[in-house]
Amino acid sequence: MALFSQPSQHGLQALLWKSRVFWPVSRCNQLFAVPFGISKRDKISSFSFMTSSSTALPVDPQGTDACPSKKRSEGDYEEEKGWDEDTQEIHEGNVRFSSSGGTLKKQLMNHTVSRHKFATVQPPTRPLCAEEWNRLRESFQSPETFEEVMFNSMVRYNSPIDVAKSLLTHVAKSNGDIGYNLLVKYLALCVQQGKTSEIRDVYDIMKIRFKILESGAYNLLIRGLGNSDQWRMALTLLEEVKKVTVPSRSNYESCIKAAGRHQEMALACELYHEMLAKDLVPTLDVLQALFDYSRGVRDPVLQKEMFGVLLYLRENQIYPHKTFMRSIKLWFESIPGEKWIGHLTNIKDSGQCPVCNHQLEDSELTEEEYNNLREKIIRDVIHGTDTFRKTSPQEFEAFQTFVENRLPFDIVIDGLNISHIMPRKVQCENLFEAVNCLAKDYSRLLVLGRKHMLTNSFNWKREVMKEMQNKADFFFAENISEDDAFLLYATLRSGKHCKFVTRDFLRDHKACLSDSVTRHLFRKWQRGHQIVFFPSAGGKHINFLPACSYDCVVQTTGDTWHIPYKDTFEEKYSYQIPRKWLCLQQKYRTT
Amino acid sequence: MQAANMLLKKIVRCSAFSFSIQHGLKQGMFPLRRTLVLSPCLKDDNARGSSEKVDLDAWKEVMKSGLQEVSETVSEPKELSALAAARETLELWRLVGRPVPENITDEQMKAFMECPSKSAQKKYLKYLHLKEQHKKNNKRKMEEKRERRLEAQERASESEKPKKSSFVCLWGSSMDRAYNWRVAQSMIFGQPLVFDMSYEKYMSAREVANAVKQMVLSEGCNRRSADPFHIHFCNFKDDSLYHKEFIKHYRGAWDKLLITVTDQCYTDIFPKDKLIYLTADSPKVMKTFDHDKIYIVGSMVDKSIKTGVSLAQAKRLGLETAALPLEKYLLWNCGAKNLTLDQMMHILLTLKDTGDWKKALEFVPRRKYCGFVNKPLHELKKTLNLVNMLKHGKRAEELQKRFANNYSKRLIQK
Repeated sequence: MALFSQPSQHGLQALLWKSRVFWPVSRCNQLFAVPFGISKRDKISSFSFMTSSSTALPVDPQGTDACPSKKRSEGDYEEEKGWDEDTQEIHEGNVRFSSSGGTLKKQLMNHTVSRHKFATVQPPTRPLCAEEWNRLRESFQSPETFEEVMFNSMVRYNSPIDVAKSLLTHVAKSNGDIGYNLLVKYLALCVQQGKTSEIRDVYDIMKIRFKILESGAYNLLIRGLGNSDQWRMALTLLEEVKKVTVPSRSNYESCIKAAGRHQEMALACELYHEMLAKDLVPTLDVLQALFDYSRGVRDPVLQKEMFGVLLYLRENQIYPHKTFMRSIKLWFESIPGEKWIGHLTNIKDSGQCPVCNHQLEDSELTEEEYNNLREKIIRDVIHGTDTFRKTSPQEFEAFQTFVENRLPFDIVIDGLNISHIMPRKVQCENLFEAVNCLAKDYSRLLVLGRKHMLTNSFNWKREVMKEMQNKADFFFAENISEDDAFLLYATLRSGKHCKFVTRDFLRDHKACLSDSVTRHLFRKWQRGHQIVFFPSAGGKHINFLPACSYDCVVQTTGDTWHIPYKDTFEEKYSYQIPRKWLCLQQKYRTT
Repeated sequence: MQAANMLLKKIVRCSAFSFSIQHGLKQGMFPLRRTLVLSPCLKDDNARGSSEKVDLDAWKEVMKSGLQEVSETVSEPKELSALAAARETLELWRLVGRPVPENITDEQMKAFMECPSKSAQKKYLKYLHLKEQHKKNNKRKMEEKRERRLEAQERASESEKPKKSSFVCLWGSSMDRAYNWRVAQSMIFGQPLVFDMSYEKYMSAREVANAVKQMVLSEGCNRRSADPFHIHFCNFKDDSLYHKEFIKHYRGAWDKLLITVTDQCYTDIFPKDKLIYLTADSPKVMKTFDHDKIYIVGSMVDKSIKTGVSLAQAKRLGLETAALPLEKYLLWNCGAKNLTLDQMMHILLTLKDTGDWKKALEFVPRRKYCGFVNKPLHELKKTLNLVNMLKHGKRAEELQKRFANNYSKRLIQK
């Protein structure tokens, strides 16, 4: 805690007051307090200035939320157990609720007492006889739903299976039949505990009682049987599901994992392809399982399949998470006789891999891709269903001729967006600074704005605007037009070297594009051509982050692979790119 | 470490052992094993013995014995048609407790099968389910009402009292007649109000149905007002979805409605400089209600918000646009600023009669705003405080200050 030594307190306080960052400091307090085990008194003394100063906000040292909220990312994956270097065993019978990364949430839910009114039902710990069940039922607030609620809580508390059986027996004896819903819930309990014989029995009973089952039961059966030694049953069930509807991806996941677990890799790959053919998006778990189970297998066909999976990641711009990346690394290193070596690294801005000095693919599009993207931008983003929604035909035509007459630009600037960079400054000054800054590096600038910038006002001073127009070309759209679409068009029209400047993530424009191929193209182009400004700490001048010169996708040269990956807990949006890479290279035997 | 493991194993074994001893069976080993039921008339407080006499797999026997009868009746066609299979699946879903309707017609079944995705199917089923629930509830309420009425009649017949009244009881029809006179007058002398019916291509069938429902409501409240508008339905195509829905609602009354329905555009009927297109996306804010202008309302329901569609229409025709001054008069809380057509109608009618914004904007749903702006400042601050506390927790103060500053600025500008 030398950071907060006595003499520096005043300075620090002033600094804090200036930049108004109390929150991080309180976090700091915690972060430091934990590893160094500072006693409470020390903490108070070192932070006394926080509370004594009347201007400071009160800081609650317990107030921070240590667990970052985890949002659903583009590729779903479930939380993994702590990854172990030597062995990664898959716990059989431990049902993990996959899909949409919800496991963590579910676990948390289990720990917190939910405020549902039925959550108070504690299932008994031993089998009860009919009398006792009856008594429990009578004491329950709404007896008609008693069995269902009881089964739900049994699943939640993972009660012994005998307790559930005794309740089923009681129901069967008193009604002469057991409802489908109870059977499904009992099945869930069996699946949760991996009781294969019970699962089989329930399935037999269901088969005779009902002509057909529904998706929930099939899900449970396939998952339960897939985790057992009777996993071939799961495959036949999958066929059954196909007759009625398209199986869910979790169905496929269970089957693929089961096939992999029993080293039937050909079958696993076949199922995987079938899944892709049905337009299902495989969970990252499935892909990871493929890598895990084919580890150490010498089979050129299988190897090709795995490369196919990596190319699938490439095509869809999916970034594996850390554990998945480890599986890939181990798989590569386990290929007999090929001597792959994997390293984790960060790629430099230049796009060179520090490990193998390989230059990554650059983010340039081909001429054909450029034209395709430009056409799609005009068709979907600018015109859409109605040209008048974002602009008007006359205006767009005027803009097109304007651009054609002044081509090519080196950089296109979203004037209004940049003018808001520093909220305390007058807008035209922000823009003026940015234009000056960029004029040093680029010769032909285009600034897009709206007509209201031309009326002399507090925020838009006429002299400043005049001066700027000497340095750059300006185009002013109507006040109710969308200037972003023009920005995209002008940049694309100018060609490969042209960059654009805006802090907008352009998500809504990407969403306008009709097909996913073009959307991926758009993202790739955006990464390589967008320059993002950020004000420097002093607030005096403006810096900007250069565009990413290399393409951030899984890539190979045959004897090297470079795979970007993300940390599990990082929130990643579609416009963010991972900085961490797995570099794999083949060491040839130097004989 | 190993020692600990061993210990753990021992404990587990121990407990498992004792457990199996206690229950007299091993789980999962003999799935179809039947233990003998000893004496059925044991005392129930004798808990320890009771667990032993529970036959845990008896339910399977019961289920399977019940099956013999069932399997004789079913047991033949293993291959179901897709439709039948879907029906079966729905039935099971209902049993599991998913929101699925009890009865489903073949037409609905077909619509269900044609849904493009599983989530669309789920939504459709939920919609049907809710519809069914509403129907049931209404039926129940009607029956209760009828019973109450019968009771009341019985009681009334007991205490027979001839009522004296100078009016013949013809409320409904005479009211109707009076309203119709008024609307007829407005057809000749009233201020026109245009509903623009050119948005069918932007809407799903359900949205069109909703839009028509809202228009029926607005027509109703217009008819009952003291000084009705002369309603025009412009760009109205015969045999369009709109038309079909209107016929569904009005049946025979459709041709007797006192409104103007035309396939012409409003720009052909009225002078362009008098038209004002009302749209939430408009940059201009309405200050006062103008009795000489003709307001246009786009009859569109957009469940998935389609920004700028009606503004584009106004741009194309070169019309003046306006938005309601919601920001100016209301402390907006949440929700989209596009209002339903009947709310729009209420607001316009109130403005026409009184010119009082506050009164008119009371028709904006209460959930969408926290209060009116013209409250004294300290009350406003209180509301803001509360909202911020609810929304942002601790950063409230700062936000409030910022908001108050901006707010005073805005007031000065206005």
